[in-house]
Amino acid sequence: MTGRKVLMDFLVTDDSHTLAAYRARGGYEALGKALEAMRPEDVTREIVDSGIQGRGGAAFPAGRKWQGIDPHDGQPHYLIANADEGEPGTFKDRWVLEHDPHALLESMLLASYALGVRHAFVYIRGEYDRPWRRLDAAVEEAYAEGLFGENILGSGFSCDLFVFRGAGAYVCGEASSLLGSIEGTRAYPRNRPPRMTVRGLYQAPTVVNNVETLASVAWIVRNGAQAFREIGTEKSPGTRLISVSGHVARPGVYEVELGYSWAKFLHEDCGGLLGNKALKAVIPGGISSQVLTGKDAKVLTPGAVEGLTLDHEVLRAAGSSLGSGGMIVIAEGTCMVRLLQIMLRFYHHESCGQCTPCREGTGWMHRIIDRIVAGEGRPEDIDTLYHVARYNDGTTICGLGDAAGYAATAMLDNFRDEFEYFIEHGRSKFGGNLECR
Amino acid sequence: MPVMFINDQPVDTGEHRTVLQVALANGFYVPHFCWHPELSIVGNCRVCAVEQEGRGVGIACNMPVAEGLRIQTDSEAVRTQRKAMLQFILLNHPVDCGICDKAGECTLQDYHYAYNGEPARSHEPKLHSTKFFPLSERIVLDNERCILCSRCVRFTREISKSNVLGMEQRGDGMRVRPVEDRTLDDDPYSDNVVDLCPVGALLSRSFQYQARVWYLEPTPSVCPGCARGCTVQLWQRKREWRLKGLDARHNERILRVTPLENPRVNGAWICNKGRDLGAFFERPRAVQPMLKGRPVSLSAAIDAARNLVRGAGRRVALVSSWGSNEELRAFRNVLADGFTSFVKADHRPVEGEVIEDDLLIRADKNPNTHAAQALFGHAPADIPEDTELVLVWGEGADFAGLPRGAKIVHLGAWLQPENGYADVFIPVSIQTERHGHYTNFEGVVSAFEPCRGRPDGVIDAETLFPLLAAPTGSDA
Repeated sequence: MTGRKVLMDFLVTDDSHTLAAYRARGGYEALGKALEAMRPEDVTREIVDSGIQGRGGAAFPAGRKWQGIDPHDGQPHYLIANADEGEPGTFKDRWVLEHDPHALLESMLLASYALGVRHAFVYIRGEYDRPWRRLDAAVEEAYAEGLFGENILGSGFSCDLFVFRGAGAYVCGEASSLLGSIEGTRAYPRNRPPRMTVRGLYQAPTVVNNVETLASVAWIVRNGAQAFREIGTEKSPGTRLISVSGHVARPGVYEVELGYSWAKFLHEDCGGLLGNKALKAVIPGGISSQVLTGKDAKVLTPGAVEGLTLDHEVLRAAGSSLGSGGMIVIAEGTCMVRLLQIMLRFYHHESCGQCTPCREGTGWMHRIIDRIVAGEGRPEDIDTLYHVARYNDGTTICGLGDAAGYAATAMLDNFRDEFEYFIEHGRSKFGGNLECR
Repeated sequence: MPVMFINDQPVDTGEHRTVLQVALANGFYVPHFCWHPELSIVGNCRVCAVEQEGRGVGIACNMPVAEGLRIQTDSEAVRTQRKAMLQFILLNHPVDCGICDKAGECTLQDYHYAYNGEPARSHEPKLHSTKFFPLSERIVLDNERCILCSRCVRFTREISKSNVLGMEQRGDGMRVRPVEDRTLDDDPYSDNVVDLCPVGALLSRSFQYQARVWYLEPTPSVCPGCARGCTVQLWQRKREWRLKGLDARHNERILRVTPLENPRVNGAWICNKGRDLGAFFERPRAVQPMLKGRPVSLSAAIDAARNLVRGAGRRVALVSSWGSNEELRAFRNVLADGFTSFVKADHRPVEGEVIEDDLLIRADKNPNTHAAQALFGHAPADIPEDTELVLVWGEGADFAGLPRGAKIVHLGAWLQPENGYADVFIPVSIQTERHGHYTNFEGVVSAFEPCRGRPDGVIDAETLFPLLAAPTGSDA
């Protein structure tokens, strides 16, 4: 087992996602408790004390984000749950939406109460059909029982929830870009300053949190910040939902206590690699996090990736990040050049086109890697890829360009010999293999 | 007043709110494409990089001013980043400066020489896109040259408010396009996007392939199209580049009209009517003085007019609202005493023209009504039947409505049938042929300068009026 649980603490059955089932396992108790006995500031205080970090990729402390909003400043505020889970390799929020939608809804009510929010939104990606139907049904149920709307549970607190379906752009998962999508303009990431907690949706202070982050709020309020802190490590409290895919025997969504051993997770919980192959590399948190090799030179622990534990600090020290929790496992015998080609094609396709470096740079890198894969690579291509990646780093409004650059640099750093081989011989060292045979 | 430091020199930030504004106002040039003082900040070109000491390189256009902020505009990090950004911008730019109308005043060209100067790093084939996409009857768009700074899109949203332009697609396939089935013809200010465009993507059809800009020079002038009196620049071939083999008219042609930035009147914009001033001033001129349609010399016409003025009993003058301040004053000083004077609207709105809007265009389609009415009153023309002489100055008079018995002295500049109907016709000069000032409807006075010579046989009204008032027999 993967340690203590926060979200996956019940058995998934045919009706475990319903309101009745959620209530039976203690659901909406935290809401009642908060509305009765806590001030909005107390709820925020709990979240700050819990030390929960954002689960969407940047690991920014959620409490600090909430403290950016004064619930009593008389302005309208908005809360948005970011369910536009577009990061390749990531499908953890889908689990929450499908199997525990009421945890998200209760948490959003608590957050709305804490932040003085009258209207909250869930921005769900258009491709998520069953999660959307489950969520929508849950919202209906909650409204029917007076959990949303005016004067919730007789407390005088009112909150309405809107479920907004996206239309399939990766960049809409970027919090400020998502605002444009809801407002009905082009979904462009916005310049900071101003921060979104100062001027966000419809020019009002706005908090955008990842689904998993928000869904943990109910647990934290119900059990207290101290209980949450006892889970996980000191600097990375709590758990993470990890969606595992790639060359692994049992892919899927796992809840892992932060600080859990990676080797144990991979080889015991996930059943090891397909065909008992050796581990070549791992992309730990969606393709925007840097790839780590089986025996990563940058890994502080001697040996391999498997010597690491799953938590934010260790991965940061290893030169990558836990990102969005989309773990892609890559077995020996995979062609990393072809893999990078697929990643760069994705970034090129999804660049919103606003900032010069990303608009031109992602296409540039894509054309270079296409040419290498077509057997027409040139020795200077590797330097050019580094150059483009370097000047996408930190030069754009959002992180899409940076991520494309990180993906390319980490691949080149770790597997430079494969790229050189491909360029020199005009063919892949591993037969262009992406499958695990 | 907060004080910050640019390149280690203390500067006063004044009213400015961003580092870019402070830098530009204090003489530290920071290159920029997408930023424009009149438009919102989008920060998409990423060229205005500056280094904030201790925090690294960021974009100046969206960097808020703060007390004690230390900025470097030309550090090593800034230079290399700027170079990289220009490499990105040029990645799919066709670099067809040789056939581009913008060459010579193209921001991208200037920045390339000033801040990059290196050959392309990329060997990939350039992406292709639409050439000559018609945005309107007046403007074509070259999508390959476009650097997607979105100035034109923001202009139609924020300034002209026609909302015609938008972006289509995304990434490097993104293109500026009119929204749905509209065209830029819907926008009476559309030609401003040609000036706003930092590269040669938006091209004026009337100026396309007409001249290389470095052969041209501007003359400051005032648009007479309405009471706003926007200050403009009339662009013609430089004197030293006029071609002997070419007809003088072609050498002197007004090839384009651009706004002369003027915060008190028109800001950075003018409307499309102002852009067409060249054609307006090139209407056929009247250059032949006439008595009842019979050609005579200028002095004979002036003598005849003077005699009519002296001999007549009741005299009425229809004063031109296109006369300059100087001409109007000359008329009042030497002639007006003998006349009952009314201010005439030389031009009225024509069909299809925008009558009035919130930005620049005024309903009064004459440049100097304000000054004329200050001197001659607001009363509408009421000409008594026993009037013996009518002095018609300028266009727009209804000759058929003048009293039957009255003699008519007409001062006009353009070839019109009425000229031969008048008892005396004296051709006068137009504003491109003389110095002068107009006073706009808010009382702001703007100067215009001559950009070409007066044709033979034509006299300035300012010179003419004293002659009409002089005793008989004095030199004409």
